Amino acid sequence: MTEICPPYAPFFGFAGVAASMVFSTVGAAFGTAKSGIGITGLGQFRPELIMKASSSLIPVVMSGIIAVYGLVVSVLIAGKIQPGSYSLFAGFIHLAAGLACGFTGMAAGYAIGIVGDSCVRAYVYESKVFVTMILILIFAEVLGLYGLIVALILDTLTNGVEC
Amino acid sequence: MGYYNYYGSFVGLLAISIALYLLFTGSGEAFNVARFLEEVNPYIWAMTGIGLAVGLSVLGAGWGIFITGASILGGGVRAPRIRTKNLISIIFCEVVAIYGVIIAIVFSSKIGSTPIQENVLYTADNYYTGFALFWGGLTVGLCNLLCGITVGITGSNAALADAADPQLFVKVLIVEVFGSIMGLFGLIVGLLMTGSTVPFAAATSVTA
Repeated sequence: MTEICPPYAPFFGFAGVAASMVFSTVGAAFGTAKSGIGITGLGQFRPELIMKASSSLIPVVMSGIIAVYGLVVSVLIAGKIQPGSYSLFAGFIHLAAGLACGFTGMAAGYAIGIVGDSCVRAYVYESKVFVTMILILIFAEVLGLYGLIVALILDTLTNGVEC
Repeated sequence: MGYYNYYGSFVGLLAISIALYLLFTGSGEAFNVARFLEEVNPYIWAMTGIGLAVGLSVLGAGWGIFITGASILGGGVRAPRIRTKNLISIIFCEVVAIYGVIIAIVFSSKIGSTPIQENVLYTADNYYTGFALFWGGLTVGLCNLLCGITVGITGSNAALADAADPQLFVKVLIVEVFGSIMGLFGLIVGLLMTGSTVPFAAATSVTA
């Protein structure tokens, strides 16, 4: 136990792991539920559109990908927290990485949910909005990807620190 | 919402007045996060994590079950054929509670059968185990809570879609499967966090 590696350093590291997974799951849960409601509404009026299951499930799949981003960062951080050789510097870095991935995943999931729901409802009346929906969903998904990239960049900063 | 603003500002005023009191009476060093983390018993962290893991998971499962159940029963009035098939949505919600129970049982194996005395308790490994179990349990609990609510909402969708048109049930069930993977991710992260923890053990030499 030194100044650089105090025994309470893993508290912040694990907080980052938890933040990454939980907040990404908030976004993914909202996206899945909200766009699922829209897909169900679509199926009442135009069941032949929901039969092509791949096209109408795109918002749901993208919400699942947001959860996977959070999982990737969580697994990456959790593998680096070992008892006894974990510095406080690494703990704070991992907390930052987890918060970055988590909150961006929450934002992306919210956007995907609301866009998926409203666009799928519009698809009932006008088929041409489908391509627009895909474009908007891609931009929303990329928000979660930004958080993942920042988390990965932050994580590489811990490579040189030793107790 | 106006009343919540009053409570929020009261709590904020209380926090600021306590902080200023500590600052101006010369005991500003009393606010010490590091000392707080070092002085709190690791057993508290571990037990809180285990309790939250199963508590929040079961809360999510129950929430999902009542959302889905209300829709199944309501839709079953006009379309009684949906009653049996939609119980699968209830089972998806129940699985979330099972995840919480599994994690709680796995975590509680890290707690020894005899409590360790305070003078030999505060080792680096015990701190690590306490923090890992706390954050692991909180992750599993919150992920399962969110997953349970999502599966419940989607199960309600499936029941009402099935009541309108029997061919829609399987399509909406796919959405429900996507919803249930989130609980599984929480389980995986919880197990990974506590994978390299050792059960609570007494220090080999008594430290001050």
